[in-house]
Amino acid sequence: MRRLLRYDDGLWGTFWIAGMGVLLAWDLAFLNAPAFARLVEALANTLFGATLAVLFTLLFGWAAGVGGYLFEQHKRRLPSLALSYFMNLIRSIPQMIGILGGYIVLTILIEREILQSQLVQLLWMSFTISVFTFPELADVIRERIEYYRRSDFFDAMLCSGVRESRIINFDILWKNSIAHIAQKLVSTFAMAIFLQCSIDFIISVGLSTDVSLTNFPVTLGGMLATMDSKQDILAISMLFEEIGYWPNLLFRHLQGVSAAFSLVFTLVCMYRVSNGLIRRHNL
Amino acid sequence: METYAFDIDVKKDGRTLVDIGDFRLRKNTVTFLFGESGIGKSIAAKAMFGLLDPQDLDATVNAEPYADYVAKPRTVRFQQNGCFVFQEPSSHLNPLLRLEEQLTEGSLARAKTGGEVVRSLWKDSDAAAIRQILEVFPKPYRPSGGEKQRILCAMAFMKMDMLPEGPPAEDALFVFDEPTGSLDNTYRDVVLEMMFERFRRSRCTIVMITHDYSMISVVTGRYPEMLDSVVFEELTLGRGGLQLAEFAPRTYTGWVEEQRKSRQGGGRREEREPVLRIESGLQAFGRTLHFSREPGGRTHCALELFPESISYLKGASGMGKTTVVKMAIGLLRGTHFRGLLGSVPLTERTPREYYARHVWGKRMTMVFQHADEALNLRSTVHEVLSGLPTTRTLEKERIQREVRALFGESADGAFLDRKVGTLSGGQKQRLNLLRGLLLETDVLILDEPLNGLDFASMRGVLHRLEGKIRRGSAILVISHNEEIFDAWVAPENVYYLSGGPAGVSPLA
Repeated sequence: MRRLLRYDDGLWGTFWIAGMGVLLAWDLAFLNAPAFARLVEALANTLFGATLAVLFTLLFGWAAGVGGYLFEQHKRRLPSLALSYFMNLIRSIPQMIGILGGYIVLTILIEREILQSQLVQLLWMSFTISVFTFPELADVIRERIEYYRRSDFFDAMLCSGVRESRIINFDILWKNSIAHIAQKLVSTFAMAIFLQCSIDFIISVGLSTDVSLTNFPVTLGGMLATMDSKQDILAISMLFEEIGYWPNLLFRHLQGVSAAFSLVFTLVCMYRVSNGLIRRHNL
Repeated sequence: METYAFDIDVKKDGRTLVDIGDFRLRKNTVTFLFGESGIGKSIAAKAMFGLLDPQDLDATVNAEPYADYVAKPRTVRFQQNGCFVFQEPSSHLNPLLRLEEQLTEGSLARAKTGGEVVRSLWKDSDAAAIRQILEVFPKPYRPSGGEKQRILCAMAFMKMDMLPEGPPAEDALFVFDEPTGSLDNTYRDVVLEMMFERFRRSRCTIVMITHDYSMISVVTGRYPEMLDSVVFEELTLGRGGLQLAEFAPRTYTGWVEEQRKSRQGGGRREEREPVLRIESGLQAFGRTLHFSREPGGRTHCALELFPESISYLKGASGMGKTTVVKMAIGLLRGTHFRGLLGSVPLTERTPREYYARHVWGKRMTMVFQHADEALNLRSTVHEVLSGLPTTRTLEKERIQREVRALFGESADGAFLDRKVGTLSGGQKQRLNLLRGLLLETDVLILDEPLNGLDFASMRGVLHRLEGKIRRGSAILVISHNEEIFDAWVAPENVYYLSGGPAGVSPLA
């Protein structure tokens, strides 16, 4: 435990878990049961969705980074060009617009009753986010491979008969780049939460007459977009007029404040964890 | 004889870097300090000279806090009267001062012999060439490693020249940490000659840290009259920490003599087909490279490696020996490369896939010269060996047996799980070699295989190589340990590399 808390990343990670634990305990005690159930579901969906986005990003980023290198090394011009064209195309689309496009497709699929399962909808949402976040990880992976490719250890292992795939995947990426990848994935986790909630907020006005937020799995962003939560958030501004109003935020406006706090607290902590990793490993 | 006695304990983040209880240094003597790379020779020497960073390390000398030791009058005198020549010359030189300015900086400004010292250390260069070197900044010109080492030695010799002649100099300590690592034997001998010349005059205290055991032959052969003032010592890492023991010169010189008598794998070359043949005239980095059988040879030949034999490729530093072997093994593309691996022709157009499928780890392998760079420092010892094609199906026990044979009985299961980065330099080098030795290839190329090894490890490695030769391998060695390999390799298997600008025949 002492070792974990010695570094900023461990400290802030622990702080985030503890903070969320305290929040849930408080909500369990003071938030009404249906609202608490909704908050827990939203939190679970948000974190699960972000985790899925991280996993997809890892999968696509690793495949694109390693694949791009191997295509180029083995002079496979066509796949190399296709991959580079596809990645540049994704980079040229603003993330928010691209993800919104994915949500529009999701809306159409829900309207046509093709996608009804909430789990599959979450998978789709995470997949959409990861399509626009994986190029950054692919770049990191490619950079790491290129860096080590020029080193003696790469050549020394090659001429010892060690398979190139093992050198890249195990020796370079797993053994020497895991901190770089972890840092990028922590950022992706935070970015996925932020993008998901931003999109949920945008689509709270509705993407079609038949499909609205109520058709999507509930997330923290979706919760914030409801009227109750909006009023809770607006109640914060009461503090400017009457500072003694603050205890009400912890009891009467708990749903919106909890959703907003979870979001902001998670983003701040993840930012700190990511910075901690950079400092600890001199990235 | 009077001695300086040190009890040195250096830790970093709770991890012991050096722990030596009885480090005795004879005053007014030249001590040659041998020992495996990375066991703490440099740290111990820096500690006694007062050069460690107390902020970075937790150090005590003679049970005193390090800051107190550094402030002691004797330590101050060490620094005022003496000099420390760093192993990595870049860390000694100021990148923002021209080399000439650095030779006249601080107390060196009072030295009167700068010009003479520099001329002696560049005896093959004319005045214009020397001026060119002295007028540059260490960066971005980047003098070669050898040039930088000579500059540092010049500083130390100038400081020695400032000592009064006659009675032995009191507390004048000169530490040379691997001062000849980047120099060829000619300049190594020049450095030794200049050092002894000054020692005779001032009788200061000199510590020469080195892995080059052939210095013993040079000293015993050329300076017999100095042997009363010379000590050879070896630092070894035992269970109780570092131990310093006297190293009898005969141990080394006698062993070299034995090697000469039982030369490896020469003769009978006409009866066999070479397993690898590389034609002269290959080109890389704007140079044409040629092989010959005599130094500076004007008759070119092909380099041929035969089964059950060891060949030795010699050449001046920077000539391109590593380039040649990297071209042979397909890691580097030059031009005019013509080779024959068994009956398979190799050229610069041979695809990389061919090497990956049929050559690397199967017919040829190469051990790189810097173990630190050739190994994945974050892997464990077991992981380094478990990826090899021959060990893929082998159990941990077999790997452990092989490791024990080269590392000794102390290399238990826990040793296999140790991170490479935590090994000493000598252990890394042995692991680097073991990776090549485990492979059953026809050709094994070794680039500076004895780098950083102590005498016992060196013998162990050569013993393993003998076994490899007996099992039919052809070995090609590049090494600056000329005395050892000249003794070990049959003269008909020694090749010399020469070169000149591409497109110009050296015979022209």
